[in-house]
Amino acid sequence: MIRVIGIGSSFGADQLGWLALEALEEAAVPDLELIRLDRPGSGLLRYFEGVGKILLIDAVEAGLEPGEIKLLDRDDLAQSSCLTSSHGFGVAEALALAETLETLPAELWVAGIGAGNDRSSVPDLNKQQLLDLLARLTKDVPC
Amino acid sequence: MASKREIHINVPVLTRVEGEGALEFDVVQGVIQKLNLRIFEPPRLFEKFVEGYEYDQVIDMVARICGICPVAYQMSAVQAFERLFGVDPGPWVRDMRRVMYCGEWLQSHALHVHLLAAPDFFGFESAIAMAEKHPEVVRRGLKLQGLGSDLITLFGGRSVHPVGVRVGGFYKAPAQVAVADMVKQLEEALPQAEALVRWCAELDFPHDEQAFTSVALSEPNEYAIGSGRLVSGQGLDIDISHFESHFEEFQVPHSTALHTQLEGRPYLTGPLARLNLNFHQLPKPVRAVMEDCGIHFPSHNMFHSILARAIEIHLVTYEALQLLKAYQRPATPAVQFRPRAGTAFGCTEAPRGFLWHRYDVDDRGDIRRARIVPPTSQNQARIEQDLCASMESFGFDHDDDELRQRAEQVIRNYDPCISCATHFLKLKVSRR
Repeated sequence: MIRVIGIGSSFGADQLGWLALEALEEAAVPDLELIRLDRPGSGLLRYFEGVGKILLIDAVEAGLEPGEIKLLDRDDLAQSSCLTSSHGFGVAEALALAETLETLPAELWVAGIGAGNDRSSVPDLNKQQLLDLLARLTKDVPC
Repeated sequence: MASKREIHINVPVLTRVEGEGALEFDVVQGVIQKLNLRIFEPPRLFEKFVEGYEYDQVIDMVARICGICPVAYQMSAVQAFERLFGVDPGPWVRDMRRVMYCGEWLQSHALHVHLLAAPDFFGFESAIAMAEKHPEVVRRGLKLQGLGSDLITLFGGRSVHPVGVRVGGFYKAPAQVAVADMVKQLEEALPQAEALVRWCAELDFPHDEQAFTSVALSEPNEYAIGSGRLVSGQGLDIDISHFESHFEEFQVPHSTALHTQLEGRPYLTGPLARLNLNFHQLPKPVRAVMEDCGIHFPSHNMFHSILARAIEIHLVTYEALQLLKAYQRPATPAVQFRPRAGTAFGCTEAPRGFLWHRYDVDDRGDIRRARIVPPTSQNQARIEQDLCASMESFGFDHDDDELRQRAEQVIRNYDPCISCATHFLKLKVSRR
């Protein structure tokens, strides 16, 4: 079983993480636990408990075509210099804190979805790429 | 020979960062000649957004103003409409709203204490750096923060922008089994909250006593959170509807956020102001821990703000537990009412200070005009006043990085919603 966490908000392209979850639910991909989070900040760490395999999905601003989905390296996740801000504590900071506290799951993947330049509009999510990614992960990870 | 140092602090725009600001001051012979806390965040226009919308829609709309304290916005709004409509939702609603508000204080304070303020006292640049040396402290903070979020979710369906509050009560009453589970979690958290107070009491606080006026809500029989009269340490004692006769909001050239003054002078709102005015109303178990630790209020040292937040964490954990232990699911979670036209006033204590709302409502219950005065705006003038005194007291024989760090710590004592922006101030010093 893989816990898939879609991170986002209801604003523009920031919805992409949530739309990915809807696509997975629609496709009835088996052995997934789907969790939708609204900008959890440091609260993300709570969702690392009790499961060994987690896929995080979030919209990213640069490096991908609008709607394109791709696994990211941890190095791709630039921490802001705003490390201890309540509002600025993002995914990269949460992962860094979880690593320090040794609470990262045994296997963790982070997938980015290209938000495009216009953050106010929502690009079409490449659903086939998403399903292919999950197929790869579930194949690599016997359930 | 006079020396002049210009310190410009610029904040880059970041995704999901709320607030953009800078600090600028000129020093001549060790004395600050000019100090501006510049806030560039564009106006958000919420007061105009809500015009034309119905009262219950407004309660969910204003929750969107802040991701950290949405409950406060909802509670000030719902109180305003209920006062205008003559609605008494009864003791069950009153108690459960207090529990929900306890959740918001718990999550907001736990976040601020552990991830923002505490690293300053140990010289860590961030909570992540602090977690390497003190992982148990950070874990405790995350646990308390999570519990606060769960309390909000219990009544609001979700912790970010909850949706459970309505005029007359709640849309839904939590199931007895869900409350029983929450009681268990609160019982486990109470010793942690007490330990947090003891831990904060041992911090090495800078000595920086300053004269300032504390303003907070006050109730005769409890530590005020969701209602009360506005009182100050200098004799103010007014109904919230008289706010505009004593407090003035005004524009300053260097900030897009309005400043507020009480009778023409800056004042403090927030946890330290509340403790200063209402500490005698803390429950006995909370006061017992304070006495055991040698903690005394009132305090005029702003660096005690972290301690005030820790004490309020203990307070809300204890109060939420007591109120939920007595929980009985009601037959209906809301009472009936009829809207009426008039001017509605609401004021409650958000985690960062009192939050005042005014709505002009027509006979259909639609909003014609709104005014919202948040705590961060109220504290801005006081922050500038504090920075002048604190930085002169700290002295300017420090390198730029030390000056920046001290200025940031002073600003963080207020936990402004621009705290993010103020944490990573970039310092550019030009001397001539």
